[in-house]
Amino acid sequence: MFVLLEDAGFKRVRSTVVPGFAFRKESTRDAAEAYGVKAVLFTAQKPAK
Amino acid sequence: MTDSAVLHAEEQGSLEAVIKGEVLRMYQDVAEHPEGEFHFHHGRRAAELFGYERDWLDRAPSGAVASFAGVGNPHLRSRLQPGETVLDLGSGAGLDSIIAAWQVGPTGRVIGVDLNPTMCRKAEAHAAASGMRMACHEGRMEDIPLPDATVDVVISNGVINLSFRKRTVIRELFRVLKPGGRLSITDIVSAKQLSQSIVNDPKLWAS
Repeated sequence: MFVLLEDAGFKRVRSTVVPGFAFRKESTRDAAEAYGVKAVLFTAQKPAK
Repeated sequence: MTDSAVLHAEEQGSLEAVIKGEVLRMYQDVAEHPEGEFHFHHGRRAAELFGYERDWLDRAPSGAVASFAGVGNPHLRSRLQPGETVLDLGSGAGLDSIIAAWQVGPTGRVIGVDLNPTMCRKAEAHAAASGMRMACHEGRMEDIPLPDATVDVVISNGVINLSFRKRTVIRELFRVLKPGGRLSITDIVSAKQLSQSIVNDPKLWAS
């Protein structure tokens, strides 16, 4: 996502992992951990000109 | 285009249609049966976990809170100002739109976009019940039904990961934002390439 935002032309791209995010079901949670799945907050700005 | 490329495109189009149907079904289910069990946490418990202010959750219509299915809190960094125009991409039952409407005030504007027209009407009703106005447009995030450069801020919560064409979605966000406009979005990302069996499973995709 970070790269996609930069490729599209966004500037000041920032990302922060969302603390506390987890899937509810244990099986999904285990698979998500294995793949490094995280919730992330992204911010970015479209250049003024 | 080669025959195999045509076949691949047809297969992908078919899978995309199935996933779209599953996503619609899943999130309509959350809206209509918020007491149900899903792969993800939802409702007030999830919103509190992500740092939504209790005052917001107390003031918002209970239906909007109960159907909340976000993965974080885009309001933490949105820095919304009175008078701004906000796009809530994938507005669902409307909780994030309502919170945004409170922040931009009567001189501002909140526009929702959602794949599901029923959810759009529900979000508008929830906004009206909280004394705020939002206009929700049925539409796809890959083809946002808004003109170029008309939005000050885009917020979104756990939606873009549902798209097969994320690069197109991000380009659309760039297109609809005004110069100097900004986005604050929370979403699910994976550090590793997902296996084909996961990618091809509509239920997991919609989760």
